[in-house]
Amino acid sequence: MTPTPDTRHLTPDEVELWAEGLLPAARDAHLAQCDACRATAGGERKLFRDLAQLTRFAPEFGFVERVMAKVKIPTPSGPHFRSHSDS
Amino acid sequence: MGTRLTATSNAGGAIGAKDRPGHLTGASDQDVVEWAKRGHEAAFRELVRRYERPVFSLLYRMVRDRGLAEDLAQETFIKVLNGLGSYNPQFRFSSWIFKIANNAAIDQLRKRELDTLSLDGSPHATTPEAMRATALQLGDKRETPLQELEARELGGAIERAIARLRPEYRSCILLRHVEGHSYEEIARILELPLGTVKTYIHRARNELRGYLADRKE
Repeated sequence: MTPTPDTRHLTPDEVELWAEGLLPAARDAHLAQCDACRATAGGERKLFRDLAQLTRFAPEFGFVERVMAKVKIPTPSGPHFRSHSDS
Repeated sequence: MGTRLTATSNAGGAIGAKDRPGHLTGASDQDVVEWAKRGHEAAFRELVRRYERPVFSLLYRMVRDRGLAEDLAQETFIKVLNGLGSYNPQFRFSSWIFKIANNAAIDQLRKRELDTLSLDGSPHATTPEAMRATALQLGDKRETPLQELEARELGGAIERAIARLRPEYRSCILLRHVEGHSYEEIARILELPLGTVKTYIHRARNELRGYLADRKE
């Protein structure tokens, strides 16, 4: 007896799995034959790529120093700590 | 975490070369935090170096104001670094810092929402004069260099689409698809049920696709 084709459309979670290459084969088979799911999945994958490529913006130069000026460094612990080895 | 740190108590009375803070670059966040707790300034700097861009980017996209995002990022790092003692190493350090950053952004957006009411003057003003006196003055419309930079950085189609999302959708989508956190981590960061996070992310993606399609038509 031939198996009944899986006619359930992909859920949003499954679309995400597909975009990551993790969709189970049975559901992949549905995608191959369903135009609606392929259109949705294609659009989602494009969106994921656009989002993943967004710029990582940097704060103004000197940010680390501005933060460090207000951080309280605890008293060094441990018997062998060398106070000036960090800088 | 343990082996790297225990090596400091031998090696002839000095920190072993491979255990020195100068070699923090490849260490895990948990190790760096442990070093910071022991008072190594370089470890604090390393944590800022690792997260300044991700934290600043999240805040900038949330509040869309460079100066404000920088103030909030600074506030976040100071809170995190001065509160390392309360960090629970069972959870990712990144989850903790993003939680504090996101809370700062949401508080700011709520405050700004209240501030926008004052465009027409204070709601407590009882006379037209008082309304005028408390109304927000709209200044020169020419863009400052900073505004021009913001327009360049946040002016692209995808950035404008993200800006149109509700703040809670925006946090979810940025944490998931820009920072790569799992749904479970996002639920922890935002203190939301897992189902809510999934719903927000799915709705946000639908909205984004819609906004981007509108642009094409």
